[in-house]
Amino acid sequence: MYLLSLITFTPLIAAMIVLCLPKEKEKVIQIVSLAAGAVSFAFSLLLLPAFDKHTPAMQFIERFPWIPSLDVNYIMGIDGLSLPLVILTTFMTLLALIGSLGIKERIKEYFFWFLVLETGMLGVFEALDLVLFYFFWELTLVPMYFLIGIWGGPKKEFAAIKFFLYTLSGSVFMLLAILALYFNSTPNTFDMMALMNAHSLWSPRFQILVFLGFYLAFAIKVPAFPFHTWLPLAHVEAPTAVSVILAAVLLKMGVYGLLRISYGMLPAGFEWFLPMLIVIAVVNIVYGALCAMAQTDMKKMVAYSSVNHMGYCLLGVAGVSATGFSGAVLQMVNHGIITGSLFLLVGVIYDRAHTRDISAFGGLAARVPVYAALMSLACFASLGLPGLAGFISEFLCFLGAFPRWKVYTAIGVLGILTTAAFFLRMIEKVFLGPMNNKWTGMSDMNARELASVVPLTVVTVALGFWPRWALDFMNATMIHMAGLFNK
Amino acid sequence: MLEHVYLIPLIPLAASLLIIFLGSEGGHSRMPLLSILAMAWCLAQALGIFWQAACGHVHLPYQASWDWFSFPVDAGGKAFSYSMPIGVLIDGAAAVMLVVVTLVSSLVQIYSLSYMHGDPRFKRYYAFLSFFTASMLGLVVSNNLLVTFACWELVGVSSYLLIGFWFEKPGPVYASKKAFITTKLGDCGLYLALLFIFTKVGSFQITQIQDFVSRGYLAPMAATLIALGLLAGAVGKSAQWPLFIWLPDAMEGPTPVSALIHAATMVAAGIYLVAKCYFIYVASPLAMETVAWVGLITALLAATMAMVAYDIKRVLAFSTVSQLGFMMCALGVGGYTAGLFHLTTHAFFKALLFLGAGSVIHAVHSNDMRHMGGLSKKMPITFVTMFIGTYAIAGLWPSAGFYSKELILEKVYGHSPLMFAILLFAALLTAFYMFRLIFLTFLGSPRDTVKHHHADESPAVMTGPLLLLAFLSIVSGYLLERNHLFAHLVDYTFPEGMKPEGAHVNALFLNYGVSALVLGSIGLSWKLYGGQDFKLAESLKQKLSWLFNALEDRYGFDEIFLGLVSFSDKSARLAFWFDTAVVDQIFVDGWGLLTKIIAEISNLFDAMFIDRTVDGFGDLSVDVGSGLRSLISRGQVQEYLMYIAIAVSLFATLILSR
Repeated sequence: MYLLSLITFTPLIAAMIVLCLPKEKEKVIQIVSLAAGAVSFAFSLLLLPAFDKHTPAMQFIERFPWIPSLDVNYIMGIDGLSLPLVILTTFMTLLALIGSLGIKERIKEYFFWFLVLETGMLGVFEALDLVLFYFFWELTLVPMYFLIGIWGGPKKEFAAIKFFLYTLSGSVFMLLAILALYFNSTPNTFDMMALMNAHSLWSPRFQILVFLGFYLAFAIKVPAFPFHTWLPLAHVEAPTAVSVILAAVLLKMGVYGLLRISYGMLPAGFEWFLPMLIVIAVVNIVYGALCAMAQTDMKKMVAYSSVNHMGYCLLGVAGVSATGFSGAVLQMVNHGIITGSLFLLVGVIYDRAHTRDISAFGGLAARVPVYAALMSLACFASLGLPGLAGFISEFLCFLGAFPRWKVYTAIGVLGILTTAAFFLRMIEKVFLGPMNNKWTGMSDMNARELASVVPLTVVTVALGFWPRWALDFMNATMIHMAGLFNK
Repeated sequence: MLEHVYLIPLIPLAASLLIIFLGSEGGHSRMPLLSILAMAWCLAQALGIFWQAACGHVHLPYQASWDWFSFPVDAGGKAFSYSMPIGVLIDGAAAVMLVVVTLVSSLVQIYSLSYMHGDPRFKRYYAFLSFFTASMLGLVVSNNLLVTFACWELVGVSSYLLIGFWFEKPGPVYASKKAFITTKLGDCGLYLALLFIFTKVGSFQITQIQDFVSRGYLAPMAATLIALGLLAGAVGKSAQWPLFIWLPDAMEGPTPVSALIHAATMVAAGIYLVAKCYFIYVASPLAMETVAWVGLITALLAATMAMVAYDIKRVLAFSTVSQLGFMMCALGVGGYTAGLFHLTTHAFFKALLFLGAGSVIHAVHSNDMRHMGGLSKKMPITFVTMFIGTYAIAGLWPSAGFYSKELILEKVYGHSPLMFAILLFAALLTAFYMFRLIFLTFLGSPRDTVKHHHADESPAVMTGPLLLLAFLSIVSGYLLERNHLFAHLVDYTFPEGMKPEGAHVNALFLNYGVSALVLGSIGLSWKLYGGQDFKLAESLKQKLSWLFNALEDRYGFDEIFLGLVSFSDKSARLAFWFDTAVVDQIFVDGWGLLTKIIAEISNLFDAMFIDRTVDGFGDLSVDVGSGLRSLISRGQVQEYLMYIAIAVSLFATLILSR
């Protein structure tokens, strides 16, 4: 059935079609891109009924030789860890594409890069060969560089190059680590499933060094303190839809790598690093929330809140328990949905007011009630209100980390309070209080904006009330993964 | 009827969603009727359950569970899938709470038909009220502490939305945020307690936790920590010392909201939570004692603050805080039944007092009692009903307050005569400030003739609920006390050897002595505030200005809150400064710098050994501090990449030469 390849390469094929179209045919380009996003999403939904929830094994495996002399293969496959992220990617990309219909300049290139980006991201979550993984990993970098650098804000070039170099310097170390694994496996292989069973042959010292190589790449992507400073800048400068993808999907590559490779292949390195990881997680949570609290730019605030939320993921990972892992994966999905809608919504107000300064507004709830309601809901979801998606995943992260790290977890809980403080302040300054007369002419959300945001809102509520829709797919894999560590 | 108890929270939830999405906006929307209809259904069902339980037709506790979601848990080195249930647990306390919540909700919603009529967001108001009631009822019926916590947060957010309902005004906005953050502070403790419980017990099911505790598996230390964490949440929600500061400000919301949320139901949730988890407290004498003292301090402090307030709603707010302190104290000394009994009777007379105050405010358009006076003739029904409420809260025979307060005092005396003395003093203050409110508002001659002239009795939609609540404030105590109905329904069986026993206070003294003291307190209140202009009170204020100032400043507890807020703002700014000035410099720009230095060294090697002139040699001294930025601005990306490659090769050597 090659379903995974279909999901992954539909966008790339569409990108090639876009490339061949004349750039004046903007409507056609948009339709082709949206159709590709929709088809890819539809294919990914086909995975759900066919996915076996009861096995931790890889499913939908595809395997072809690629470079036989080096034993490089094209291997794709998913399990309960990657399935939610694949669907998150296709879903968020589709909505981001809808949100991108407002792009006015250089449409052809924009959609081309966007579709290439989608292929790269999907490949990262599906690849089961380290060379393929690395190929997709790097494939996400170039489109992102152009998307920020061309369609971004005033300081776009600087933001783009900072993003590019920073993440590239991380991935170079990853390449090295991949080579190290290859040369130290017998027989030499890049096959991730084989490497996951090879760690007993490696000395702890070797595992630690290789772990560090991978960790640098993943930590920059997450972004984990202190490698997070590229994120606020990139977010502020990136166009709305790119911010959405950056926060919703790209950051997840870091945590995914941490779970799949750092934990799955290098348990000794992971164990050695664990005491550092928990500190980094708590710093991400508390420090990220504090930094967010100091912001006046809405977009930068949401960006720092991502640092805080990815801290919950790290906390769950550092718990090294099935509960924590499933919390981390669910939190990745929920953060993608919630922060995705937050970025889309910030974009909505920026398109109208051309400012994102929190104190430039006031009393907008009376003028734009639908927008105010959706934004408040997204904020409450982000601060972990029960009944909305973020609560259960945050709770599972804390629950998973608590038995091992009681004091750190207790400190982390303060992050929840701080998150509440800055989101409420934003709601207060923008929507409540006396009406700022400057914006009396502001219009409420239009159909395109609603089409990109409302699905996310619906999913936020649905997963809040019914988290089993996501959790059921993960449980078997998470139980299996937690078992690795205790062996 | 009991088997369909899950409908009780679901029906108002459905109503609230329907109201949000259907019908037209505007001050004359008909959608509120839907909300009231839903409430009527719930009330009927709640009364039915209560009746069946009271007659012994059904056996309580009743429990039913459904699967909610499953997630993996780890226990004993193995991970397995755990199915989290969602369900209902109806014991006597829940059956009583259901009646209280649905009854007060129904009355408040009927009352609001007139009070909020014409408000442009009339429809939304009812959607929020329905949503609140749904979450509150969910909290009451839930058999699972995680679900309880979820509902707990949802009532918090409803409270936030309703306090800030008139969001154009700065006051309500500030108050709503303060309420949310302050309660959230307490919720952090509750959150940790939940983590602790699941780690120890492996379940959130209340009955399973109870089973676990009763078998003695929970170490006293763990029980204490869990109990204190739960208490932190209760202290926030029930506005106990030291987190009580949000409740007086919450009075910025519409008055019916104050009656429902901030007097009768939500603020009682903290008490209810402690009662629900009572078995954990019983396992920890230290936690019990803490509960008692927190309640006692709250009861006293809040009562003193109510003595000097002139805002009619603030007096009632302080009074609510103080009365909640009574309940908390009762629970702390082992008076499970007494605390919940007072919760029930208090819900009736405090809702009555708030709705009465709303009626007054509706008539005179002011909260300040100094602008009132002499309203008894203008608003006879409001006056009589509020007088009844005051009579009940003062605890005089035969009102409902008499029975519940007597029970609390008896329990507290048995625990510690010192606490009894303090609590009795607080009770006397209660009578003083509540009658002061009546005297200032209704008696004497009008101080503001214009306002007095325009004042009129409220319509029947508003006075009807007042009359019903007044009736309950009189008879509910007697009815529930008769044949020990309440004690049979709501009782906690202490484990062997844990039952708090102590001295018995002389019943005669409780019945007559306390009443005499209360009457004396009322007399003193009359002496000070009964006249036309309260000269005596004013001169007392001059003499004791330090005391009055301290009370009006709420002992400076607000300052502590503001201090915390400004501290967190300062740390936020410090964190952000650190992020841009230090972390970003070191880890992005410094990274560039490091690779550059490595490159310069290799350049140096080039120059020395390969004997080639290096053009960029001077760069080392010129440009060391500018790092990445300068690299980019000079377009030396390729050079930079080369530097990375050098760093990488160093790393490679390290790995491969292991």
